[in-house]
Amino acid sequence: MTALYLYPLWLRLWHWLNALIFVTLLVTGVSMHFTLNWLIPFDVAVPIHNTAGVLLTGSWLLFVIGNLWGGNGKHYLINLRTLPKDLIAQTRYYLHGIFVGAPHPFHVSAEHKLNALQTLSYVGVMYGLMPVLILSGWAFLFSTSLPETLFGIGTVWIIAIVHLVVAWMLALFLIVHSYIITTGETPTTNLKAMVTGWHKEQSSG
Amino acid sequence: MLLSPLSDPRSGFSCLAYGQCGTALRRLLLLVLLALTASAFALSTAAAYGAAVQTAKKSGLLKEDSRDCMRCHWMETMAYRDRETGKIVNLSIDRDAYRHSVHHELACSDCHDRGYSHYPHRTSSADEALQCVECHEEREDDGAPNLVGLHHEYEKSVHVTEDVEDFSCFSCHNPHTFHPVNAGESIAQVVTETNGTCLDCHTELLTPVPKGHEWLPRPQAHWGAVRCLDCHTPLEGRILERPSHNVLAAEDSNQLCVECHSKGSALLSQLYNYRTEQARDEKGFFAQAIYNDAYIVGMTRNPWMDWIGLGVILLMILGVAAHGYARYRFHREQETSK
Repeated sequence: MTALYLYPLWLRLWHWLNALIFVTLLVTGVSMHFTLNWLIPFDVAVPIHNTAGVLLTGSWLLFVIGNLWGGNGKHYLINLRTLPKDLIAQTRYYLHGIFVGAPHPFHVSAEHKLNALQTLSYVGVMYGLMPVLILSGWAFLFSTSLPETLFGIGTVWIIAIVHLVVAWMLALFLIVHSYIITTGETPTTNLKAMVTGWHKEQSSG
Repeated sequence: MLLSPLSDPRSGFSCLAYGQCGTALRRLLLLVLLALTASAFALSTAAAYGAAVQTAKKSGLLKEDSRDCMRCHWMETMAYRDRETGKIVNLSIDRDAYRHSVHHELACSDCHDRGYSHYPHRTSSADEALQCVECHEEREDDGAPNLVGLHHEYEKSVHVTEDVEDFSCFSCHNPHTFHPVNAGESIAQVVTETNGTCLDCHTELLTPVPKGHEWLPRPQAHWGAVRCLDCHTPLEGRILERPSHNVLAAEDSNQLCVECHSKGSALLSQLYNYRTEQARDEKGFFAQAIYNDAYIVGMTRNPWMDWIGLGVILLMILGVAAHGYARYRFHREQETSK
């Protein structure tokens, strides 16, 4: 059995706090978007959503700082040379190998805790989608200071559509993320690791 | 041979050419010219008269007995100062506005049927009790819409319950100009016109941040886009074709943003029910489809996007569930084979 201390306390706290904020935003956002007053009344959802949005901004900044100075950043570096090969191997494993007991193509180590597919999606989410979501959210908060139109289209409308599309994509990510973590050695291996910090595997890596 | 200059068929030319025939012939020519002009004028007048006769069949103001009234009442300055209130009472009828009003087919005497045969009219003539609801009921067979429903709404309105002095249909509606919303009118025009009716009396609200509306973000933008009535009438029992006449007090009026800023809202749909076609004409089908049902808070209530978004999410959940189930089946098979 191997045990690796992969997730330091600050990272775990950040992860679960971020998850809580994100789920709050998702639920209040859905409630506002579909006017689901039975879920959360509109006038309650709006201030919660706005507050959570500001908190998410802080959380994202913590993530960036943690990556810059906490040593976590190395996991998000994409190795372009090996990326295509790794991606194919990883995808083939999820689509086929996982059903026939093939060995996992990626082995978690202190240096590489994320496989190629994870790296790519996390980089896309945290450095791509998340800033767009946050910026469009802030643009909403200060929409009265924005120009009326942008490229001949109502500015608020553009922002709203961007915010919505990115939110849909991040909701999609949440579903995939929640499922993919069950594909560790046992369904709960990865979940436990994010709680305790220790990544434990029976088989040696 | 002596020839009268007039008998010479060329004399006219020669006279003119040589100035021999004096003023007589010139006068004759002038007469002919005048006659031609006069007949042309007569012809055009006759044509205008013909057109007027055609219109007369439709316009009540051109009916025989209306002409007597309009002899004075067409004048823009036709007014008097009420001795009791000191206010100027306008008695002028804007013929153009009347022609476009719903009552354009009515002659003056169809409504003002008593006490106007004398001139100057007796002061008692002004006391005539004109009743919109009753009149419309009596003339229902002629196509006058029934106003009883409106009257019931009106009786519940703040204008009645608060005993506003001298309040009647005419406080808001001028029967000489009243017309429903025209199909071609833009939202902004409709809103300006309708809100103008309210603001004619509620002049205290003509400030950048109107009293009682401090809670409303960008009040002027709202006032340019929605009617006062859209918030100041009950949400329940709205009819798309016309606004409710149950005007609510400030404290009972709608203050929930989401009533407007969401899909399928009663407030929004009543004002914007005919906007879809208009927008399609202006922007084209695709642009209209994208902008349709937009709301400000999210501004994104586009049914297509919602269905696509929900569809992708659902497919992903199904895919993930199927993946998980397949894994479970493989795991079970392995367990049993062991």
